[in-house]
Amino acid sequence: MKMMVCFKAVPDLEMLSEEDWAADSNLKVDLSFVRNILNCFDESALEMALKLSDVSEGFDVLLNLTAFTIGDQKSDTYLKTLYALRFKKAVRIESNEDLRFFPDVTATVISQYVREINHQDVIVLGRQSGEGDNGKTPLLVAEMLEWPCITQVIRIEPDTEGSLKVTNMVDGGTLTQTITTPCVLSVGNAPNSYLRVPTLKDKMKYGKTPIEVLDIQQFNIQALLDDCRHGCELKGLEKISHKRQGIIIEGETPREKARILYDSYLKERLEKL
Amino acid sequence: MALTRAQIVEGLVKILGEEKVITDEQVLKESSIDRFRKYEDICGVYTQPIPAAVVKIENAQEVSAVLKFANENIINVVPRTGQSATEGGLETAVENSIVVDGSGMNKIVKIDPYNMQATCECGVSLQVLDDLLREQGYTTGHSPQSKPLAQMGGLVATRSIGQLSTLYGGIEDMVVGVEAVFPNGEITRIKNVPRRAAGPDIRHVIIGNEGALCYITEVTVKIFKYMPENNIFLGYTLENMKPGLEILREVMVEGYKPSVARLYDPEDGAYHFSHFADGKCVLIFMAEGPKAIAEATAKAIEEIAAKYDECKKVDTQFIKTWFDHLNWDPKKVAEERIEIAETQNIGFTTEVSGNWDIIHDIYEACCERVRNEIPDITMMGGHSSHSYVNGTNMYFMYYYNLVDVEPEEEITKYHNPINKIIVEETLKAGGSMVHHHGVGKHRTHWIKEEYESSYYILETLKKAFDPNGIMNMGTILPIKK
Repeated sequence: MKMMVCFKAVPDLEMLSEEDWAADSNLKVDLSFVRNILNCFDESALEMALKLSDVSEGFDVLLNLTAFTIGDQKSDTYLKTLYALRFKKAVRIESNEDLRFFPDVTATVISQYVREINHQDVIVLGRQSGEGDNGKTPLLVAEMLEWPCITQVIRIEPDTEGSLKVTNMVDGGTLTQTITTPCVLSVGNAPNSYLRVPTLKDKMKYGKTPIEVLDIQQFNIQALLDDCRHGCELKGLEKISHKRQGIIIEGETPREKARILYDSYLKERLEKL
Repeated sequence: MALTRAQIVEGLVKILGEEKVITDEQVLKESSIDRFRKYEDICGVYTQPIPAAVVKIENAQEVSAVLKFANENIINVVPRTGQSATEGGLETAVENSIVVDGSGMNKIVKIDPYNMQATCECGVSLQVLDDLLREQGYTTGHSPQSKPLAQMGGLVATRSIGQLSTLYGGIEDMVVGVEAVFPNGEITRIKNVPRRAAGPDIRHVIIGNEGALCYITEVTVKIFKYMPENNIFLGYTLENMKPGLEILREVMVEGYKPSVARLYDPEDGAYHFSHFADGKCVLIFMAEGPKAIAEATAKAIEEIAAKYDECKKVDTQFIKTWFDHLNWDPKKVAEERIEIAETQNIGFTTEVSGNWDIIHDIYEACCERVRNEIPDITMMGGHSSHSYVNGTNMYFMYYYNLVDVEPEEEITKYHNPINKIIVEETLKAGGSMVHHHGVGKHRTHWIKEEYESSYYILETLKKAFDPNGIMNMGTILPIKK
C-alpha cells in the first residue's frame, strides 16, 4: 500500500512577542526570525503513518511511505529526518511562493503529483496549518482526485492490502470504519502529537538519501495563483482582544482564599464531572 | 536504636504541628527524586527510598528544631526549595528521610537600593524577586534557565550560574551574606559587607554545599541597575567549534565583559537555530550595562570576530528572538513530560569546565565516545555558555531513545554511562566534572578525583559541620558502605 503524508514546516508563532505582531507597510508580520517547526496536525499525521507501518507487517501489508512538502530548502531537514525514520521517499516541491492562504494551489500541486507522477493509495494530511488556518487542503485534494475524504482522523490501523481501519472524531464520540483505498485522510486532534526521533546511526545511514526536488512551475499553477491573488486583497489587520474577565479573591490567609475559590467557583464544576 | 517511621513523624508533629508535616503517599513518592529521575516520575515508578515526611518550615527556628531532632536521632535530612534540581541532589537516598521544604519561606525581607542589595528568604522565587526588582529599575543579574522554577536557597546551595554570568558572575559573586542552620541547630548569619579580610571567606562553606552541610534560610544578594534599552545582541555562524572557542577566548583575554557569551555546536544549535544556521556552529554575545560600555563592548567583539574569515555575522533579531525564549517554565516542563511519554525519547545534560587549552579536546572526546559507545543515541552535542579569562564550560546535551528498557533501568542503561564518559574524559584532561548543576548524587563516584589532594579539606568540612552525616546523605560525598 502506497501512502503519502503531506506536511508543512511553519513558523513557531509562540516565539513571537506581542510587539513582533506589528504588521509592516505591506500588512505583513515578519516571521523570518523565528524557527520553523512541523505543523502540529502534520506531525501527528507523520507519526500516525509510522505507527501504522510498525504494525502493518503483522497484517502482511507492506506500507510504502512517501513524505511530501511544498517549500524551500529549509524543509530538507525534516525530509532527511523522515528518511532516517524509514520513509521510502521524500519529495519537496521547490517553491518560494507565499501559498499560506491559497489552499487551492497547494491542493492542485498535491493532486497533480499523485495523479501524474507518483500514484498513491492513501494521502494523509493534517487538517490545517497554524499559519494559514484555511482547513481546506485535504478536502480540496479529495475533490480534485475524486476520492473519499475522512476528516478528524485520530487513528489508522491496518486491515487488508486495499483497505484501512480508520477512527475519526464525530459529534459526541469516535467512529471506526473500514475504508477502501484510495482515500484522503485528514488528521485532527490525534492522541499522539509528537514525531518520534531517529537515532544518530539511522540519520547517518538513511538520512543522506537524495530528496526528490521538483519545481512548482512544472505544475502549471501560475494562472490559478494569479486568480487566487486577485480574488482576495488584504485591506487591513486588527488585533483581536482576548482579555477575559478576572476576579481577585480576597481573604486573610491562603487557606481562606482557597476555601472561597473551592466553594464559590470549583465545587459545582467538580461535582458535574 | 533508630526511630521508626511513625516515631519520626510523631517527633516532627511535636515540633511543627500536624499541618506542616506531610505524609501523603504520592507527595512522599514525588519527593524522593528530582529531575534526574524524570523518566521514573513520568512512568510513576519510584525506586528510591520513600521519605518519612515532607515538612514545610516557615522560619530558621523551625529549621533549627527539625535539624536538631534529626541530628540527635541520626535521620537523613534533604533540604529543598524550588525542586528544580537535576543531578539527584533531592533524592532521598536512605530510608525514612525528612525532606525539609523551604518554599514557604518566601518573603522578600528587604530591597536596599542605596546599598544595592536585596535580602530574601530561601523560598523566594528568583523570577518573583527579579521581576520586582526590574519594576524598580534593578536586577539580580542572575538568569539561569531554571529562573521561573528555582528559589533563592536552592540557587545558592547548588552554586548556580545564569546566562548573564560573563558580566555578573555566578551566584558566588552575587551573594553578600547568608543565614544558615547547621545540623546541631546552630543558626548562623554572615553579615552583609562589601568585602572583608577577616580570615577565610566562610560564605563558601555554605554556597554550593548542596544541603550536605547546612540549611540555607536567608540570602542577601547584590543588585544592579537594569538597563535593557542598551542591550546589544550579536550573532555569528561558524563551520567549526575551534575558531568559535578562540574568539570567546580572545574576547575574555582582551578584558571585555559581554553578559552573554555562548558558542553552540551544530547538533545542539539545531534545535534553536536551524532556520538560519543549519549545520553550523552559532556564536552569540550580548553586551549590556551603561550605553557607552555596551556599545564599546559590542564594537570590540565585532572587531575581534571580523579577524576570523569563517565567522559570518547574522541578523541580530535572530538572537534576540532566541534569547527571549530560553527559560524553562512550568509549561515547558509539563510539555516535556508529554513529549517524553509519547516519543520515548529523553534528553539530559552534563556540564563541565576546563581551561582554554583543553576544552576543545574535552568536547571532541566526549562527543565522539558518546556517539560511538551509547546505544540508541539520537543527539549528542554541546555549547559553551560561561566563559572566563582562563577557560570556559562545556554544557553537553544528549538525547536517546528508550529501547527495551524498564523505567528503573533507564539510568543504568543510558544516563550513567554517558555521565561516566563525560566525567572521565574531563577529569583525564584536567578539567572539572561539574560546572554549575552541583555534584548531586550521581557524580559522587568521582569526587576524590575531582578534588585530588584538596579532598582532605572537603572531607574535613563534612566531618566538622555534619559529624553524624545526616545532611543529604550521598550528595557531594558518596555514602560509605
